[in-house]
Amino acid sequence: MPIFIVDGHQVEFKPGQTIIEASRNAGISIPHFCWHPKLSISGNCRICLVEVEKMPKLVIACSTYASEGMVVHTKSEKTIDARNAVMEFILINHPLDCPICDEAGECKLQEYAYSHGKGESRFEEIKNRKEKRVQLGPHIKFDGERCISCSRCIRFSDEIAHANQLTFRNRGDKVTVTTFPGELFDNPYTLNTVDICPVGALTNNDFRFKSRVWEMSSTDSICIGCSRGCNTEMWVRNNEILRLTPRKNDEVNSAWMCDNGRLNTFKFVNAENRIDGTYLRFNGFLKKAELSSAINFTAKKIKEFKSNEIAFIGSAYATCEDNFVLAKFAKSLGVQNIDFPKHIALGDCDDILIMEDKTPNSFGAELVGVKPINNGNSFESIITNIESGKIKALYIIDEDIASISDKYEKNLTKLDLLVVHSSNENKTTALADVVFPSSTYAEKNGTFVNFNGRIQRIKPAVTTEEMDRALDGMNMSRWDKFGTKFDRWMQGRRVDAKSSWNILSMLSLHLNGKMKYDMAEEVFADIASSIEEFKGLDYDMVGSKGINLKIKESIKVK
Amino acid sequence: MERIVLPDIPNLNQIDVYLTNGGFESFKKALSQSPDDIIDQVKKSGLRGRGGAAFSAGLKWSFMPKTTDKPKYLCINGDESEPGSFKDRQVFEDNPFQLIEGAIITCYAIGAKVAYLYIRGEYHKWIKLMQKAIEVAYDRGFLGESMKKTFGNDFSCDLYIHKGAGAYICGEESSLMNSIEGYRGYPRVKPPFPAQKGLWGCPTTINNVETITNVPKIISNGWEWYSKIGAQKHPGTLLYGISGHVNKPGVYELPTGILLTDLIFNTASGIPNNKKVKCVIPGGSSMPPLRGDQLEGIRMDAESLKEAGSAIGIGGVMVMDEDTNLLKVLIRITHFYHHESCGQCTPCREGTGWMEKTLHRILEGNGTSKDLDLLISVAENIEGNTVCALGDAAAWPVKFMIQRFRDEFEQYVKNEVTIPVPNKVHSMRNTSAPLANLHK
Amino acid sequence: MFKFTEENIKRIEKARSKYPTALAAVMDTVYIAQEQNGFISNEVMEEIANILSIDKVNVLSVVTFYTMYHTKPMGKFHVQVCTNVSCMLRGAYEIWDQVREKLGIENMHVSQDGKFSLEEVECMGACGYAPMIAVNEDYFENLSKEKVEEILNSLN
Repeated sequence: MPIFIVDGHQVEFKPGQTIIEASRNAGISIPHFCWHPKLSISGNCRICLVEVEKMPKLVIACSTYASEGMVVHTKSEKTIDARNAVMEFILINHPLDCPICDEAGECKLQEYAYSHGKGESRFEEIKNRKEKRVQLGPHIKFDGERCISCSRCIRFSDEIAHANQLTFRNRGDKVTVTTFPGELFDNPYTLNTVDICPVGALTNNDFRFKSRVWEMSSTDSICIGCSRGCNTEMWVRNNEILRLTPRKNDEVNSAWMCDNGRLNTFKFVNAENRIDGTYLRFNGFLKKAELSSAINFTAKKIKEFKSNEIAFIGSAYATCEDNFVLAKFAKSLGVQNIDFPKHIALGDCDDILIMEDKTPNSFGAELVGVKPINNGNSFESIITNIESGKIKALYIIDEDIASISDKYEKNLTKLDLLVVHSSNENKTTALADVVFPSSTYAEKNGTFVNFNGRIQRIKPAVTTEEMDRALDGMNMSRWDKFGTKFDRWMQGRRVDAKSSWNILSMLSLHLNGKMKYDMAEEVFADIASSIEEFKGLDYDMVGSKGINLKIKESIKVK
Repeated sequence: MERIVLPDIPNLNQIDVYLTNGGFESFKKALSQSPDDIIDQVKKSGLRGRGGAAFSAGLKWSFMPKTTDKPKYLCINGDESEPGSFKDRQVFEDNPFQLIEGAIITCYAIGAKVAYLYIRGEYHKWIKLMQKAIEVAYDRGFLGESMKKTFGNDFSCDLYIHKGAGAYICGEESSLMNSIEGYRGYPRVKPPFPAQKGLWGCPTTINNVETITNVPKIISNGWEWYSKIGAQKHPGTLLYGISGHVNKPGVYELPTGILLTDLIFNTASGIPNNKKVKCVIPGGSSMPPLRGDQLEGIRMDAESLKEAGSAIGIGGVMVMDEDTNLLKVLIRITHFYHHESCGQCTPCREGTGWMEKTLHRILEGNGTSKDLDLLISVAENIEGNTVCALGDAAAWPVKFMIQRFRDEFEQYVKNEVTIPVPNKVHSMRNTSAPLANLHK
Repeated sequence: MFKFTEENIKRIEKARSKYPTALAAVMDTVYIAQEQNGFISNEVMEEIANILSIDKVNVLSVVTFYTMYHTKPMGKFHVQVCTNVSCMLRGAYEIWDQVREKLGIENMHVSQDGKFSLEEVECMGACGYAPMIAVNEDYFENLSKEKVEEILNSLN
């Protein structure tokens, strides 16, 4: 590979790479506001000006291609002077409202003001006034005074979201970002502009003023909104999820996620209707019970049915681990009726990220064995056979079957035994004889397989009663680390819940002793040793960005 | 001496008069030679761009790729928005057909099939005149498909007017291209240069109206003839636009390299009431101003003016007499660049407003000598750090006016300031210093 | 609802034919719309986007960048006074004050009867013939106070 010199270091580059890209790969970061690796080059902010030997003027590193033998100085006096000058220009009309700005703590302008600012301003005039608190779209507020006109949001909506809805209005220092009058910045991807806004000009209505960013921990996770499996970061304060943001993964979601996934896939974790502890039906009413007595009761009841009178329903919302243990449990009882319902929204998809399958793990659930065995019934015929009375006992994990239709709800009432694992109260838990509290995807380790066979890990970001943030090695915010139980923010709710594989394993141990797992890793090791596509894998290999399973072509096509 | 761009021939804007004076003969002559020969002649003639940068026209043409699948374009810049510039309108009015002929020769030389003539929107009258001339040229077979028949050659090209709508920045070549494409007039980051990626991503050459109008005469009279007119390194004539405090302002076509004092005191008949000259801006308002007491020996060509600490620009000479308030002039100039800054890149967007605000504060009597240093520093921080040359255009008048007339500017400021100071602090450091100390 | 006249639709088609893309015809089309409607309202911008099949924000972007496009109605006679340096040196601000007082309106305002509007404009390219004003599309150059008085009186 050709080489150029940056600050005395020899840096390799691919022909066609700009100075900023090539330097970045070598760990030398050049300040930038308008440049974004996923967007076209605009070159407007000028903060990336660097000195290149033999060039008459400073050049912008974002648009100047590296070339063999080129000598770049990113810390020379000339470069620093220009950078300080640009910083000063950006700051003269920028409000000094970091203390109330959501971006503070993750603000490029704030960071550079520390590292490249002069500390005091020579600007003694009155700052320009622009529009503030503009409701730009359904999820976004815009502050014109904070805006530094970098055009990232405009380029994003045109180039990535394919929705040319934003533009600059006016000119000179009156320039501001706007939609067409009377219209909203409204497309499935708008909130990505909040992430890429280098300042606090665009804020997320849902997160605005909720928390200082340094008060939260962030944990790698996977969005459960559809089968794309966008990589995310889950931001938690006080054991409550406050926001999701996309995590870069070029194999899956580039640097983006959709607004629906961002806004509507975590609130059930925080919800009031979380199932906190185990419930048993007693005299027609669900009453809180000890887990052990519920396990006893369930084990005893299951034995009362013939294997063809029992059906298991897994879930594409549950992890591979949960589904694998469910399938293994069914097998141990000789039950062949096992399947999971599909959640397909026909037509609700695009060529960017959004998939029709609104679950994160259909592929995984099927691969680990949640599908009818031999002549066993599929999901639809399980329901039909419940209606006809052939199936008398149903064991469901993480699916709200009763809410799918009134007919389904009616059918469930005909069962002699209904056991449900659920994280939240719903129509199905209302009909259940036993309700086990399952932990959500935010509270457990596990894996999902996305639509094209990429296996990806989720990690716990929220603690349940049995967990300990420090001892379990979870990510921690400064508050988590240094807070005490006397602090207001350490009082967050922790529910009594367990992973479905864990509950099933306890049940199995009680029933026939066929399974015993203590950790998700153990389940995964079992999957890896028994399922062809997972052969040889472990959590470390899956890593933070996932890995493509070796899928047979015959399976892929369907 | 013979005038090249605006010959002294009555009714030359009538096609028949133009034809009887050798009209379109240059193009015929050009057709008998190869495009490369034409480029070579223009190169050798020494013709330099009349739009401000004085870059060799032939060299610019030679940057156009010879082999490309893409269409090539010619843009003719008649945006003429630099204060002090009012020469191109004279070409539209008096010699439109020579401009058209220059355009088709250039198209032939660079291999363009389409040329756009960008004229500032305020020039309604001259747009109509030029449009009329273009229609006549089409009717007579000097433009479009029928050229082939007229000239017995399979070369043809089209010429369209693109009407600007009030934006100085569109005189900058890449803004001009964005404006033609239907975008805001934001300058483009260079490289790529227009010859590589211009209009719609295709190879494009952009020349000033005056530059293009010179071309037919270079072809008909030969490059040797042209190269001997005026200054050796910057040959030909210039359309000097003289304005401000002179007795006879106007546009004069004279050779390059004439004495600036000749231009002011002879051509333009000197200063009203025989006042002294305080300041001259020799090339349009963005060029560094010269002191009236230091004009001796300065010649009107790129090299001489550069040596004198200014630039030829578009040859618009603005003269200010001894009673002129330079602070007010500088505020007016700075207001212009602030108003015309497109707002795309940071230093120009923020810096132009800052300079104007500070100058106004000085005018209001609230400036100190330190503010003059600050203005120079702000100007230097803009200079060279922007996407396009508007940054320099805004910075130079401030920097050089204050530096070269510091004595006068010192009279507008005080030693100490008494007004309260807003917005002093931007970050955590040094905030404990008392505000009062910041001014010592 | 704003609709282009038949004749103007033809003019737009002609403008469109000058360029390889429809977007490039936006400036010509905005001029035609302004001529027909007097100013560029949101509705007019929508129709421009519609007739050229381009995004509305592209029209907005252009309309708000160039100063000759007006998003509010202007007077029947739009009086533009250049006050840039060359004109200023030759008394433009006196002319400016004179026009302002005579019309009784401020910069970018319209007289109550809708007859006049006033704009302080940047250099119009008449530096050698300063001071100057323009009324709608016509330049008046080499002005004196008397001439300005005469011009303004003649506007009916």
